[in-house]
Amino acid sequence: MSATDLSASPSAPARSRTVVASLRLLRSELRIIAGRRRNQAGILVLASVPVLIAVALKFSQPREGRGPDFISSATSNGIFVSLTALSIEIALFLPLAVAALAGDTIAGEANIGTLRYLLTVPVDRTRLLAVKFVSLVLGACFGVLVVAVTGVIVGGALFGLGPTTLLSGSQIGLADALARLALAVLYLSAGLAGLAAIGLFISTLTEQPIGAMIAITVVSTAMWILDGIPQLEWLQPWLLVHYWTAFSDAFRDPIFYEQMRQGLLVALGYVVVFVSLAWARFTQKDITS
Amino acid sequence: MAPMPGASVAESRETRHHGGVSIFDRRPHLRWAVPAAAGALILAGTVAGTVGASADAGLPPKTAEALLVELQAPQATALSGTIVATADLGLPELPTGMGSSAELSSLVSGSHTLRVWSDGPERTRLAMIGTAQESDVVRNGRDVWMWSSTNDTADHYVLPERDTSAVSPLPADLPRTPQEAAALVLASLDGTTGVSTSGVDQVAGRPVYELILTPKQTDTLVARVVMAMDAETRIPLRVQVFSTAMSDPAYEVGFTSVDFSTPEARLFEFTPPPGATVTEHAAPSKEAMAAGSGTKPGAGASPTVVGSGWSQVVIAAMPVDEAAGLAGATVGGNGGEMASSGGLDAAALLESLPRTSGTWGSGRVLNGTLFSAILTDDGRIAIGAVTPQTLGAALAAQ
Repeated sequence: MSATDLSASPSAPARSRTVVASLRLLRSELRIIAGRRRNQAGILVLASVPVLIAVALKFSQPREGRGPDFISSATSNGIFVSLTALSIEIALFLPLAVAALAGDTIAGEANIGTLRYLLTVPVDRTRLLAVKFVSLVLGACFGVLVVAVTGVIVGGALFGLGPTTLLSGSQIGLADALARLALAVLYLSAGLAGLAAIGLFISTLTEQPIGAMIAITVVSTAMWILDGIPQLEWLQPWLLVHYWTAFSDAFRDPIFYEQMRQGLLVALGYVVVFVSLAWARFTQKDITS
Repeated sequence: MAPMPGASVAESRETRHHGGVSIFDRRPHLRWAVPAAAGALILAGTVAGTVGASADAGLPPKTAEALLVELQAPQATALSGTIVATADLGLPELPTGMGSSAELSSLVSGSHTLRVWSDGPERTRLAMIGTAQESDVVRNGRDVWMWSSTNDTADHYVLPERDTSAVSPLPADLPRTPQEAAALVLASLDGTTGVSTSGVDQVAGRPVYELILTPKQTDTLVARVVMAMDAETRIPLRVQVFSTAMSDPAYEVGFTSVDFSTPEARLFEFTPPPGATVTEHAAPSKEAMAAGSGTKPGAGASPTVVGSGWSQVVIAAMPVDEAAGLAGATVGGNGGEMASSGGLDAAALLESLPRTSGTWGSGRVLNGTLFSAILTDDGRIAIGAVTPQTLGAALAAQ
């Protein structure tokens, strides 16, 4: 259920005015996010992981076999530096980045007292919330993209970008590999959108951005822990993070969509429930700061 | 812009520049109903999805005997699909690192996803899906390739000529596809089994007939085996083995999606990627393959069979190395020295098994949901789909 359905405008011109105003709001929101020093520092941290992996692999002895992740394939192809970095960062750094952004959205604005100014402009709360959520998702997508692109550049420079060996043993060319990497990036962004929805809701509950950030990180980390306990197998398909690692299914031959489709459905479920929770909360909240 | 004292709900309603007062404006608390309804809808949708829509697709009723005949004459040779195998055999958690083939023979516990492609019995591919890893068994005519992405190894086997059986050179401890499971069950059908049908159901979105095999013997741990056969192609799509100890299937292997069109030919042609370790193996002899498919541990040393049908018990002398492992576990404490040979794993596993004794002597007992095993201190192993008490009686009678 989208937020705009609930505040349907009566006429077409009014609707297009609303769209233009929303886009303007989104643009200014993205400019604020990109302009924050801590967000810029966060992007540097995200980008440093593939660099560290590539450099460490370059100056270490090759080991037998490939191991359970992509890490030892990385020396044969730069694409795998991206995949290794993604599989490492999706566990903590990327959720942390989403938590930091989400903490700022509502709780952060409330904390520094700018939220009420935002609402004095004739901006509908529902629309404000929608813009905040979209900017969160775009921020998460940008974070994943930074990791992937840095990995390809650094990995490509150190190990080259030759034919990529898929998990199934067959080989593909660079264009195909990059397309599959793009699919993995989009898939992970969709997963993080689920977490962004949880973050948006938590952010409406408090005026302390740090508190919101910690709570969101706790939620994602707790889900990873639950996902690792074999006795909780019945619960795991319901966990947002359970299917995140399925991004590697893009590197099978042929691409294995079944788990990714499941992961998208779960992420969609989280988005629907938590964005509507955030909406129910935010549109009733008394905003005094 | 003058600062405002605060934007309450009432104010935000005023700032709404397009009209239309909805129920949410009059009763703000009703807004909580939206996430609640969304959550309920998702739950309901999932439950409805697993239970499955009413499966009765106008299929004519068939007798169990007719189904049994049809099951042995499938109407399709080509298929591709995804299989999920779930096992709850009540075994102790296996220590990790039990060898390189662990991925393909690790179906004994938990849930596993496999992809399968087949174009007749001689062109098949089976891929076991792990997180960022995969192992494949590709058969094309006499060539069999086994690929492991974890070890970066490719093993090449050439099957003996005129051997059309679909046996892979790899000894698998549990059937990995519904076809394998159904073949195994059908091969062991005899007078000790009652056959019936429970009508129709749905597996992987396709209508199926269900065939129920019930042991007539009462001393077996197997309550029943339910086979679901695709109504159109007669291919088994799911096999469930129920234990007398629990209500959920103790072992289940079934398709979650299936497609009966011919898979791409390139899937059956495996070329080891550059950099992989390629090992060429000589053609395995028939005896070796037969031994490999006879999956019971210790089956090598002329086993004795006590009883018949579902309640039969196999008693064998244990292979020397396993007996040594057991001795180590019994003495205890010297596991460290065996770490290199993998003896540590076996020893640790045996150590975790409870001790038992009877008129037959003493030993360790493995009490599973579908089978149990007794490893005696004098180096015998008894195994069967029966309770440990029945095993003890069989050992005493020997």
